[in-house]
Amino acid sequence: MTIASRVGDPEGKTSPEELLAAAHATCFVTSLGSELASAGTPSEQLEVLCTITMDEVAGMGHRIVSSAISARGSAPGANAASFAQAAEAADAGCPFSALIKASATVTVQATLEEGS
Amino acid sequence: MTQRTANVTWSGSLMDGNGTIESVDSGAFGPLEVTWASRTEDPKGLTSPEELIAAAHAACFSMALSHGLAQAETPPSRLDTSATVTFVPGTGITRIALVVRGSVPGIDATGFAEAAAAAKEGCPVSKALAAVPEITLEASLAS
Repeated sequence: MTIASRVGDPEGKTSPEELLAAAHATCFVTSLGSELASAGTPSEQLEVLCTITMDEVAGMGHRIVSSAISARGSAPGANAASFAQAAEAADAGCPFSALIKASATVTVQATLEEGS
Repeated sequence: MTQRTANVTWSGSLMDGNGTIESVDSGAFGPLEVTWASRTEDPKGLTSPEELIAAAHAACFSMALSHGLAQAETPPSRLDTSATVTFVPGTGITRIALVVRGSVPGIDATGFAEAAAAAKEGCPVSKALAAVPEITLEASLAS
């Protein structure tokens, strides 16, 4: 890991922000699975992407400014509204979301894959 | 502006199912398997969100400290940092303990402790995780 690979082209090297993205995606996916199961519509398959953005903020140096979650998956018995509700509850329940919200913006986008 | 993305999948229930950190932007790691049991009990060789946060924090802190020491014209020859994240299911992350041991020519223990404290405050991951109830730091010089 180097400063150059952290802020520029990663060139195959990870970075603190990438590790946080992996942590947040993992934390969120377990929360979402748990919420869907509690709602009586357990998921079959979930996929979560998390993008962490670090930016230089005037007077404050480098800051992690946002974490954007995008979740999709199949959960028999769920509909778009209940899936979105579960995603909202997952965001509220995931410890990492709770922490990072104090200092950065967290956005959640959820898409139910119907049928199959 | 820098962006890094991770892609994670999960199959089955929370307790009996399992997840996979499929890939990350850089390609540096993955796929890595995760389970609820590996997160809260014996890891059995599997990682967890909290372990990834520990790695992120230790790396971020080390970079910030190295940078601060270099700016003070006492660049380190080596920094050895550990970060231990405490996770309490149902409560969340309650504590992060940073421990650093440095080989830094030309600095005394007080100077090193001050530089380490500044790195702990200033590193982007510390700022992002400022809501953690307790973040501790232990800094010492290798003899």
